[in-house]
Amino acid sequence: MKGNGEGKEGKQIFSFTSVFLLIPIIFVTGLIFISSCTKKYEFNMGQDFFDSQTRLQVIDTFSVNLSTVLLDSLKTSSTKIALAGNYRDDIFGSVNVGAYFDLGYQDFEDIEDKAIYDSAAFSLRYNGYSYGDTTSLLKLDIHMLTENIEPYSGYLYNTSSFDYSPEVIGSVSFYPAPESVDTAVYLPVNALGEDLFNKIRDNDENLSNSELFSDYLKGFIITSGSPDNKSVIGFTADDDNLKLIIYYHQDAEEPELKEITISMGQENHQFNSVKFDHTNTPLNDIRTEGNVMPSTRTDNYGFLQGMVGLIPKLQFPTLQEILAVQRWKILKAELVLEPVYESYDLFRLPENLYIYDTDRENRVNTILLDDKGNPLTATLAQDDIYEEEVRYTYDITKFINDELSDAYFDYDHGLMPGLADDDFTSSLDRLLIECKYPPIKLRIYFLTY
Amino acid sequence: MIMPRLLKNSALILSLLLSGAGTLLAQSTSSPYSIFGIGILEGNSIGPSKGMGGTGIAFLSDMSVNSMNPASYSGIDSLLTIFEVGIFGKYSSFTTLQDKQSDVNANLKYVLMGFRVNPRLATSFGFMPVSSIGYNINAKAPIEGTNQQYIETYSGTGGVNQIYGGASFKILKNLSLGVNAAYLFGNITRMESSAAFDYSYKDVTYVANFDFNYGLNYQLKIKKWKYNLGIIYSRSKDLRTKNTTTITTPTGTQTLKEYTYDYSIPQNLGAGIAVSKGFFRAGIDFERSDWQNIEFTNVYFQTRNSNRYSFGAEFPLPGDRKGTGKMIFLRFGGEYRQSYLLVDNVAIDGGTLTLGTGLPLKGTLNAINVALEFGKIGTTKRGLIREDYIGIHLDMSLRDLWFRKRMYD
Repeated sequence: MKGNGEGKEGKQIFSFTSVFLLIPIIFVTGLIFISSCTKKYEFNMGQDFFDSQTRLQVIDTFSVNLSTVLLDSLKTSSTKIALAGNYRDDIFGSVNVGAYFDLGYQDFEDIEDKAIYDSAAFSLRYNGYSYGDTTSLLKLDIHMLTENIEPYSGYLYNTSSFDYSPEVIGSVSFYPAPESVDTAVYLPVNALGEDLFNKIRDNDENLSNSELFSDYLKGFIITSGSPDNKSVIGFTADDDNLKLIIYYHQDAEEPELKEITISMGQENHQFNSVKFDHTNTPLNDIRTEGNVMPSTRTDNYGFLQGMVGLIPKLQFPTLQEILAVQRWKILKAELVLEPVYESYDLFRLPENLYIYDTDRENRVNTILLDDKGNPLTATLAQDDIYEEEVRYTYDITKFINDELSDAYFDYDHGLMPGLADDDFTSSLDRLLIECKYPPIKLRIYFLTY
Repeated sequence: MIMPRLLKNSALILSLLLSGAGTLLAQSTSSPYSIFGIGILEGNSIGPSKGMGGTGIAFLSDMSVNSMNPASYSGIDSLLTIFEVGIFGKYSSFTTLQDKQSDVNANLKYVLMGFRVNPRLATSFGFMPVSSIGYNINAKAPIEGTNQQYIETYSGTGGVNQIYGGASFKILKNLSLGVNAAYLFGNITRMESSAAFDYSYKDVTYVANFDFNYGLNYQLKIKKWKYNLGIIYSRSKDLRTKNTTTITTPTGTQTLKEYTYDYSIPQNLGAGIAVSKGFFRAGIDFERSDWQNIEFTNVYFQTRNSNRYSFGAEFPLPGDRKGTGKMIFLRFGGEYRQSYLLVDNVAIDGGTLTLGTGLPLKGTLNAINVALEFGKIGTTKRGLIREDYIGIHLDMSLRDLWFRKRMYD
């Protein structure tokens, strides 16, 4: 029934005429839809017809109180970095860092009777880290410990120390080249080496097992060898890179040079101890003030320094005023820190700053996370030419909204801008922020409706 | 005899309506002028009328359903069940005194069907838009307390739709009366948002109500010419509304207020005259909507009574197929539509010229009606926007001989 009237003629006519008509239509339509259109986000005609129901404003007049907290102790063991040297300036005071480690026991191979001892040295390989002025000569000494390194519950701290002999068994003075990563500095210990060489050759019973060995060589500390040092240098501390090498040769017509290598011992026996002194700096009284000082008493400065354990604390005393406003949302909250001008000529600004929340007891609690669950970092904006507008900006929207969600803002609940955990325990990286000018800003993007 | 047929068809009607509804509910237009009121009025013309400037008040339905006038259903061929599906695509260029921007937009517009129940009664059911809203306008807004600005996007979606069922009664040989009972529903969604600051302030108004519109068609035959007079009328009515305003930020969505208010659709009166002879027909329409008494709470515009004028004609392509099922129609027409809005006391009237064709599909009774529409709305005066557009209407007219088959069973 549907096919009624269909014939040769019909077919022809349909194809001819219809196609004839459809071609221009398709052409025109195609042209229309292919031709470029204004991008959706650029279309702006008609905006005059609207009265915005919302109002976005930035408020950056909330006060930020700054103080500096000195943490009791920091775990500095098992960081794979041995640091030694000292440095002093008038703002952060002096630091003197010593690297503790011990040597691992090994089953020593027999040495031929005709072997002749040459020399011995600790091989220290730059790990790339430096603090202070590396253009000055650095003198490092090494001492033997008179007690074994014993971790407390598996850890050692910046404040830990073990007794060592005042006798310097080795010393080296050099111009540090920390950028030459994996290049070694040799710290000669010829007397120790000879004693050890003889014991190995003689199959001395002190080398017969690990207990006797660690009783004989309790451990070492590399200390700053001179009060004139102006830097602290980092060396890789693992059993491939921190080692004692004893050189000897066969007494023959063509002497064959040989060596014995004794590597660093247990990883958690290696740690760095930090002695610091804030005398005659703004932090002069921090010990006697309960390890916290407001910026009003420290020249308006806030101090951040790894391994020493200085960390700024920020509190927001006027933020609860926002709760008096009706119908609002905080769309974005930024915390802007500006380093003190010219405070970072010698010291690199930390590339990444993290932030932790803290409490009345000034504990460093959990690290703040971003939307994706990664640690929240501050971005460093830097103008290399003018050194202006160098600043760190944190997006702390979630923290602020969470804090205000119960319609109450706890003043004791503050924030601590800090280094990454690794850097805080294995570097002296520092940052000086100022409270007065440039001020610390809490910048809130505030929507009312 | 009638009931089983209706039952048999109702399942299909329902499934068609529902499948269409899903898409149509998301219908939109693309025009900054759709920010006002219930949006851009769509008009009731479909299919062949789209090629004739939207003219059709006096046309009787024939091979297509003429939804402009419920009295027209009585013209549906007694043997046919007709389905109509319409798609509209548009390329618009928007011009102000300073700038020119453009946009494209395409949507499924309507799904409907019509058939004659008996010599005196014909019906139509369908889903059609009444109005549609679609805009996405990016404005620069200040960030107070800084010297910066940000982009605030005003966007609108939604519109008013109708599901209708209508009947046409042939009272006298030349006189038909018709009524459509429609359920109007939809939403008017307006949003203010910012991608940069991740918030949206959203105002959704759900509207719903029943609506009735009436039609009359009177035909006079003088020799080989037929003269038709069509009249349509619908009363003013209030739409029931439910409004919800919410704000959404990354911390969640909060409802700010919920309320109801009156939204009105005006009284509408239209008349048309058509002449036809054989397969030629032509007509003119006049329509008036009494918007003047309808107030919107927007300081930028006023309402006024608006008129619509249109004309159109249709003739078959001459040749051997004239009078057969393979006849090709050509159509043309024009329309002038006064705006019901005065923006800043300036009218945003629109005019279009249309060209159309009706192409039979090989081996079936089906046809495709295609119409190109060249139009202009508004003006660049007083900082306003002129929209120039080229639109294309595609209408699938699917016809089947269900009832005749039935009679052979």
